[in-house]
Amino acid sequence: MHHSPRALLALVALVACAFSLSASDPAKLPPASAAKIDFEADIKPLLAAHCVKCHGADKPKGGLRLDSRAAALEGGNTGPALKVGKSAESKLIHAVAGLDPETAMPPGDKRLSAAEVGKLRAWIDQGAKWDGTIAGPAATKLTHWSFQPIARPAVPAGSAHPVDAFVHARLAKEGLKPSPEADRATLVRRLSLDLTGLPPTPGEVDAFVNDKSADAYTKLVDRLLASPHYGERWARHWLDAARYADSDGYEKDTGRPFAWRFRDWVIRALNDDVPFDRFTVEQLAGDLLPNATTEQKIATGFHRNTLTNKEGGVDQEEFRVAAVVDRVSTTGQVWLGLTVGCAQCHDHKYDPLSQREFYQLFAFFNSDREADIAAPLPGEADRLKKEQAAFDAELAKLKAAVEKAKADKVLAADLKKLEAAVVAHQKKAPSATKAMTIAAGTARPTHVMIRGDFLRKGVEVKPGTPSVLPKSTGATRLELARWLVSAENPLTARVTANWVWAKFFGRGLVSTPEDFGIQGAKPSHPELLDWLAHALRDGGWSLKKFHKLIVTSATYKQSSAVSAEALKRDPLNVLLARQQRMRLEAELMRDSALAASGLLHREVGGPSIRPPQPPGISELTYANSARWVESTGPERYKRGLYIWFQRTSPYPLLTTFDAPDSNVCTVRRERSNTPLQALTLLNDSVFVEAAQALAKRVQLDPTAKGDEARVARAFRHALGRAPVPAETERLVKLLAQFRTLAEADPKEAAKLPGPHAPPGARAPEAAAWVALCRALLNLDEFVTRE
Amino acid sequence: MHPTREALERSRRDFLTTSANGVGLVALASLLEGDGSLRAADAPNPLAPKAPHFAPKAKNCICIYLEGAPSQIDLFDPKPKLNELHGQKLPDSLTKNVRFAFLQKDTATVLGCKRKFAKHGQCGMELSDLLPKLGTVADDICLIRSMHTEAFNHHPGQLLMNTGSTMFGRPSMGSWLTYGLGSESKNLPGYVVLNAGRGTSGGTSNWGSGFLPSTFAGVLFRNQGEPVLNLNNPAGLSAAMQGATVEAVRDLNGIRHAAIGDPEIAARISAYELAYRMQSAAPELIDLSKEDKKTLDEYGIDRPEPDLKAARGGGKGQFRAFAANCLLARRMVERGVRFVSLFHASWDHHSNLDNELPHNCLMADQPVAALITDLKRRGLLDSTLVLWLSEFGRTPLGENRGGSPNVTGRDHHPFCFSLWAAGGGIKGGQVIGKTDEIGWSVVEDPIHINDLHATILHLFGMDHTKLTYRFQGRDFRLTDVAGKVVKKLLA
Repeated sequence: MHHSPRALLALVALVACAFSLSASDPAKLPPASAAKIDFEADIKPLLAAHCVKCHGADKPKGGLRLDSRAAALEGGNTGPALKVGKSAESKLIHAVAGLDPETAMPPGDKRLSAAEVGKLRAWIDQGAKWDGTIAGPAATKLTHWSFQPIARPAVPAGSAHPVDAFVHARLAKEGLKPSPEADRATLVRRLSLDLTGLPPTPGEVDAFVNDKSADAYTKLVDRLLASPHYGERWARHWLDAARYADSDGYEKDTGRPFAWRFRDWVIRALNDDVPFDRFTVEQLAGDLLPNATTEQKIATGFHRNTLTNKEGGVDQEEFRVAAVVDRVSTTGQVWLGLTVGCAQCHDHKYDPLSQREFYQLFAFFNSDREADIAAPLPGEADRLKKEQAAFDAELAKLKAAVEKAKADKVLAADLKKLEAAVVAHQKKAPSATKAMTIAAGTARPTHVMIRGDFLRKGVEVKPGTPSVLPKSTGATRLELARWLVSAENPLTARVTANWVWAKFFGRGLVSTPEDFGIQGAKPSHPELLDWLAHALRDGGWSLKKFHKLIVTSATYKQSSAVSAEALKRDPLNVLLARQQRMRLEAELMRDSALAASGLLHREVGGPSIRPPQPPGISELTYANSARWVESTGPERYKRGLYIWFQRTSPYPLLTTFDAPDSNVCTVRRERSNTPLQALTLLNDSVFVEAAQALAKRVQLDPTAKGDEARVARAFRHALGRAPVPAETERLVKLLAQFRTLAEADPKEAAKLPGPHAPPGARAPEAAAWVALCRALLNLDEFVTRE
Repeated sequence: MHPTREALERSRRDFLTTSANGVGLVALASLLEGDGSLRAADAPNPLAPKAPHFAPKAKNCICIYLEGAPSQIDLFDPKPKLNELHGQKLPDSLTKNVRFAFLQKDTATVLGCKRKFAKHGQCGMELSDLLPKLGTVADDICLIRSMHTEAFNHHPGQLLMNTGSTMFGRPSMGSWLTYGLGSESKNLPGYVVLNAGRGTSGGTSNWGSGFLPSTFAGVLFRNQGEPVLNLNNPAGLSAAMQGATVEAVRDLNGIRHAAIGDPEIAARISAYELAYRMQSAAPELIDLSKEDKKTLDEYGIDRPEPDLKAARGGGKGQFRAFAANCLLARRMVERGVRFVSLFHASWDHHSNLDNELPHNCLMADQPVAALITDLKRRGLLDSTLVLWLSEFGRTPLGENRGGSPNVTGRDHHPFCFSLWAAGGGIKGGQVIGKTDEIGWSVVEDPIHINDLHATILHLFGMDHTKLTYRFQGRDFRLTDVAGKVVKKLLA
């Protein structure tokens, strides 16, 4: 088999890693670290990563186990590995220092750094504190925080809002003070972007700024939560997790013309505030609900977003298995916050999750089949009925003609033509709009796959949930889904609360929303997280209620301004003494520009769109197979979440601004800051067109007269707030510069306003305004939610 | 001075010297006040050069990727035995547990090789008659005949070669290198991609940054027209207007920074300045008019391109595109670009092998050899690693897809294939590894793709086990959990 050369190498490596020890000169050992060592943070990962694989419970090399303190002290064939308090005399240290190549550990090229050895030394010198075992499920279950039942922490006194009570108590402990509330213009923009993904219009800003009623803020929150754009905004977050795309992926990357039905389902479900437990069950097992509706079946599209490989010569079973693996990994990631996918080929390195348990989860999904179902759109049934009647009538006519021809004994060639017409017509049978769903298929046994290889079957396993978590009773996908959102499962509520929180603060209370396991970050505010998890679950899993809870806190409403001192003290804003500025997501960047310019087409839902794309992008797909036929109607100005996502050649604007490649589940987007982003904002056709339209808008605005007023109006369309005098001054100066430069070559300048030249305006004047608006759309503040 | 620190100071100095008005100076003052907060970690340029783990041999890499799997049997690994066995079946013991993409193993027979092989250079490296020009630099290249992989479909295979894993979402080689080392280039991206031919199976996933920030993704350049997407200003907006724009944006961002203190604003200012510099640097880069005629001729930019009725290689115009890409790769290396990727698709010769492979070789042979000669003449080869890669090899059996008796090509073959490397600390003039007499399996010095990656990182002064990125609770590497530096490759 093709593994043989590697297997041979592996064997050689195995033989070489016998753990024997001989002392080397202690003076040459790397010095012990001076820091106070924390076993969990500093030592356990080292042992887990470098030692326990060969020196664990399973056939320990050299008879040495390094998976518990007692075992390490007992030692292997050559005696104790540790001498507590005396690192220089500990064989473990001599081995990992690697002074003697014969006994150097770990084997191969994976040596520890001097700093890591120093940490191990310090740990031994400080008493080799070590609770529990490594990779032992029972021991980890007892200690790791996220597997424990969700606590019901008491709300600290001192603040009216529970969120603030927890945050302020912590700040007080650290000797810090929260920031003052942000000004109203910032607040309304922040809230609008967070809840609907669209910037407020200047009118909406004014309405809120001037609303003196006591409940002005709550009214604003309620209005935004009720907006149909709320569903679009939060659907996009969810679609990242669902690795939504409009094509198969892999070489052929065939289009999925009905993928959008799932996207529409998500938007609608969020707008209807479908409780998160139902939201979960319908997406994972809507097809298995009693009397499942078409909508519930469409919901199962969640797991149809896996890739499909139609490359010639592939083994279909290999990629069926790959899709099921992805369904397991994604489910683990999204609801449990665990990297269960790591256990596909071997026991999880850090978390109490064995390879066998991975395949027990796999078994829940292994018998499913992919079903493309007829899912008529509202009103479509009538259309179909009419079309079917017309189709049937025509078919009957054609068939009759054939019969008549036969009876009349016409020429064979003529008869053939008539028969061909019947066949051709039959291909035109009317069909309903489809949806991609998951359905239960024929039962298929599940085996552990040795090293994750679908051709190497191990023992058979039955559906089951990981033993570290409370048991699930059932064996169906529906029961798995219900178990995920059950009161006993400590993870889903915490993971979901944290995921939501991260969208409002730029960082989760657990800063690794994708990993609540041993290697993940510990919560910065563990009591607050548990309190929020309860609030979410006890609030009937209503996401809207949960959002409202968070955004009405003073913690959320704080200013995001930061002093150099505060930045030094808490650069990542872990303690929440301020709000966090965040660069907008890719789709929002485009949405904001279109909104500011007035070009945005606000229609909610529908098929994916293909706005103008630079030449040469679709050509990157396999044999230039993905054609990009530009949308020509108003839909080309729809929001960014509707842009057709071709996996092997994604819309460049999206990837430039860190939209995920949608091949795997993403629960946290990167926020990079690159020169290509600058070029995109400066020159990508959608931003240029937005600048042109915004320029036209302010030039034709009868309520804005004179440069200063117009500059201020454009500024407000872009940023919501009014400019400060220094800003107005600089912009007016810039406008003058542009006028001079445009006057120098009026013929050239006439090209700048494009199709949005205001009627009657002189070309250099119109050009100067476009250039000015383009500068506004390139401000850091424009692309940032403050 | 620490390199990132230096970059920060530089950007701040630029800010001072280029900001011509009072508002800009106010912004600058606030940046300087924020000095304590703008630590190295917050430095505006994540691509600032960083020190490797140990002294490197290579500073830059040109990675020529021939997508689709060129036939090693017809180019690099002579197997005279195949002509003896032509038309015969192979023993079942050999094919028993083997999966093929298209080949029907019950009826498949050995396909002989029409190529003539000759020895080249002082080292006597045997190469096919399709690569005469490459033969002139045989003493500079190290040919590996013992590569093997576990992927045998194109997209997973390309992911493995370019990212070290058949799974999606991993960073490509160039991303890892620029993440680890930054870039010397001040006006161009650190990782550039050039394409010729039809689209590759892997598309953009071959040069994506995976879970690394998009800062480290390959930037696609085109060899004509607008060299980088969105590089050109909109029609009617002059260079002077663009200058005024960038300056005003910087000033206005400075005002906001003074009010709100977020260091991210400083990073954005610096990104805009690099974008602005790139607007003049990139067109200068792709402008070949300053190259002398001798150079252009050596690369064969304006060679005649024979007609070939086959879409697989991308159709007419690829000779010029590929040659220009090779020359551009040298120009990029001269300007400090860390990693240049050249893709050409496709070499997937399931059929028509004896017409299409010569055509592709005619396209690639001259410019690739010229690139090596040119780099050497300019003293750049020692520090520039040149790679010739693909995802797997091709079968000694003829491909009889659907049981067809009309056999004119070869199927995918992962058990052995050939690649070569030159320059950048590679020991040239040698052949590494052996395959059996029918080119079925490796019999000496097996090298896995993870080993190749470990060796490439080693040449750049990086320990492949230490170049890691924490993602989903795990420290990921280009070499995943495997890889060994192949010492024989090193000079």
